[in-house]
Amino acid sequence: MLEIRDLHVKFHSRDREAVSGVSLRIEDGEILGLVGESGSGKSVTAMSVAGLLPRKQCTLSGDILLDGQDLLHADRALLRQIQGKKIGVVFQEPMSAMDPLMRVGEQVGEVLRIHTGLDKEERKRLVLQAMESVELQDPEAVYRKYPHELSGGMLQRAMIAAAIVIEPQLLLLDEPTTALDVTIQAQILELLKKLNRERGISMLFISHNLNVVRKLCSRVAVMQKGKLVETGATEDVFFHPQHPYTKKLIEAIPTRHGKETA
Amino acid sequence: MKYTLKRIGLLLITMLLVSFLTFLAFSLVSGDPAQTKLGTEATPERLAALRHEWGLDQPFFVRYFRWLAGFFSGNLGVSYHYSKPVWDLIASKVEVTLCMCLLSFVIITLVSIPLGIWSYRWVGGPFDWLRTAFNQLCMAVPPFFTGMLVSYGFGIVLRVFVPGDVPDLHTQFGAAVKHLFFAAVCIAIPRIAMTIRMMRSTVISEMNKSYVRTAISRGNDRHAVLTKHVLKNSLVSTITFLGQTMAEIIGGSIVVEQVFGIPGLGRFLVASIGYRDYPVVQTIVVILAFWVVLVGTIADLLNQHIDPRLRLGGKT
Amino acid sequence: MKKQKLNGYLVAGILITALLLLLTVYGAIHTPYSPTAYTGAKFEAPSAAHLFGTDKLGRDIFSRVLKGMGTTLSVALATVAIGAVAGTAVGAATGYFGGLVDDALMRINDALTAFPSILMALLVISLLGPEHKYSLILALGIVFIPSFARVTRTAFASLRDVNYITSARLMGAGNLRILLVHLLPNTGRVLLPALTIGFNNAVLAEASMSFLRITPLETSLGYMLSEAQGMLSAAPWYALSTGIVIALLVFGVGLIGEGLQQRNKEA
Repeated sequence: MLEIRDLHVKFHSRDREAVSGVSLRIEDGEILGLVGESGSGKSVTAMSVAGLLPRKQCTLSGDILLDGQDLLHADRALLRQIQGKKIGVVFQEPMSAMDPLMRVGEQVGEVLRIHTGLDKEERKRLVLQAMESVELQDPEAVYRKYPHELSGGMLQRAMIAAAIVIEPQLLLLDEPTTALDVTIQAQILELLKKLNRERGISMLFISHNLNVVRKLCSRVAVMQKGKLVETGATEDVFFHPQHPYTKKLIEAIPTRHGKETA
Repeated sequence: MKYTLKRIGLLLITMLLVSFLTFLAFSLVSGDPAQTKLGTEATPERLAALRHEWGLDQPFFVRYFRWLAGFFSGNLGVSYHYSKPVWDLIASKVEVTLCMCLLSFVIITLVSIPLGIWSYRWVGGPFDWLRTAFNQLCMAVPPFFTGMLVSYGFGIVLRVFVPGDVPDLHTQFGAAVKHLFFAAVCIAIPRIAMTIRMMRSTVISEMNKSYVRTAISRGNDRHAVLTKHVLKNSLVSTITFLGQTMAEIIGGSIVVEQVFGIPGLGRFLVASIGYRDYPVVQTIVVILAFWVVLVGTIADLLNQHIDPRLRLGGKT
Repeated sequence: MKKQKLNGYLVAGILITALLLLLTVYGAIHTPYSPTAYTGAKFEAPSAAHLFGTDKLGRDIFSRVLKGMGTTLSVALATVAIGAVAGTAVGAATGYFGGLVDDALMRINDALTAFPSILMALLVISLLGPEHKYSLILALGIVFIPSFARVTRTAFASLRDVNYITSARLMGAGNLRILLVHLLPNTGRVLLPALTIGFNNAVLAEASMSFLRITPLETSLGYMLSEAQGMLSAAPWYALSTGIVIALLVFGVGLIGEGLQQRNKEA
């Protein structure tokens, strides 16, 4: 469903390409893990899929196809019809990713307001449904709350609800659990798995933490310095890493957990 | 509701404090006004009589509370210089100054908010430096200089108004406002430049926040990102700044009144300082201080209404 | 590309300011005519003999402007010096030691900065006595203390627990030494733009106050503008030259401030 072919991204302010020649495929209903340390280009890859790179500040080449439709060279108007509707994004820090002055319910329903002609009542019904499916307690109350009134875990659930409320084809998850406690992290991973299983949403899951990726993804791609160094079924890569960098990453997995930010 | 009451309570305490400090300060410096008024040859009987008439023979706190009570009942004491009740002297001047300041504030708000948002579009553009330089220039020209040029150009050459002759606010409201408008513009120009500068940097810093990226990822276009998200988030700093501006306008008005010959509070204050007319100076200072504190409170309350996070902290 | 733009503000600002400073220094040593003496015909338009023309007493305006700049600049510098030194001392002490005194002082500070500076200055002048020559300098100096205190307090508070300060403390450096030797030089980055803003406010405030003629003061730019208003139709060049000089002075320093801020942002 998503195909990235020979993607190159170079920011004008940097000498080195942020992404150089990455090719990836995500099949329908698949969760692909994208792993690498900070600066490896994994987030930039995801942001270019979501059309969130500042076009004036970088040069892009290659192809990004969503069901055959070119995203990389699409004009802004077309891109906006895809953003939110076909591709949902969940970011790392839910607290800063949410508008602090807009009620959570309204933010969850924003995609509906932009992409559908539904009236307020109808939108609210769908928002509450989405909140329920991400297992938010007392959706009615959460609907009226402001972001600062919720915990990080609840906010991230709300962010996921906001991304899936319109049933997108692809969910981009940019380190969605990194800023959260380990227990909450596990819950969110379970939730993502459930959403994938029940609704068949494809996901691109980005993390610097191989352990987390292993719990969620069937396939994994490893990036280093803008290049793809290894791709394969998660277990294969985990037990028989081919590339020395992958080996290093696996060795570096902390036995407890590493909560550094990427 | 609770924070509103708390804020209003704080406002009253601040006003009380300001009035007390002002009264204290002027009591300390004013020496013996009766002596000053009557001169060195005055007989002790006449001095005592005048002191009694002005209430100077009472203890300090009695005088303060008497003055405070008088303040709220419109009895502000007697001017040493004019020997007339202070309130009779300043009532019309309060109106004129208030009208001019409000006018100036409206101009600032109406001009700078749209321009501030619009100037965001220039960021990084080839003419951005020109805008910055022009902004600096507007801040550099003192309002009393602009005032001189405007009163000469529009007053003497074009005869749109007669400098020094402000029509009565009650009987000729329109004409008076037209007159004050020119002065208000002169006060507004540098403030507009400052507000635009502030808004621009606020919008830029808001635009760099993560929630903007989220908004774009949901399919908001540039316009919607600005109107649905960024503007509301920029509003708090803008309101705080405009509150400060409202206070600073008073500072500007003092000088501009002098230029245009507007019979306002500022001009009267300056004259009264020259006469060492302490009851008048003290009253005007307290009135202007109340005004500043009141505007600050209104700005705070508005901000708490906009940003729910401010309701919790109890920050004042 | 951005670096050049930033230098643009700084270079332009420094050029304008340096030019005016040179003129001021020149004016302190020598003026073409005595700024107070009758030198030619009244209301003479600008010419080679009288660059900015003459006023109603036939005084040479160029010479008066040179002298006026000197007065305005020295008053502004004196007030900024008072404000900056006292403000930095207060800000440094409260920022470095923190605690209850810090809270209380900053509250008072906030309250003071909320009031328009001209009103504050008028209040202080009224209390000090308007007939004293130095009331104005003292009043403006006092008025500028809070804004400097706030800026330096923030800088000192943020530096207080930085590693090298902690290690200096561990090595036995006293508080005063840490404040003066280790912290003060590092606050230059924020203090410098604050100084340019303070200077501009001081110039404008001085001009406003002497325009209002509250305190007795010799020829300063603001005082001259108030003179010029009376002869606006007969000698518009008087008001124009004086006003433009004030504006240029503030504009030049404003550009320097802008340049400094931009450079801070880049760094």
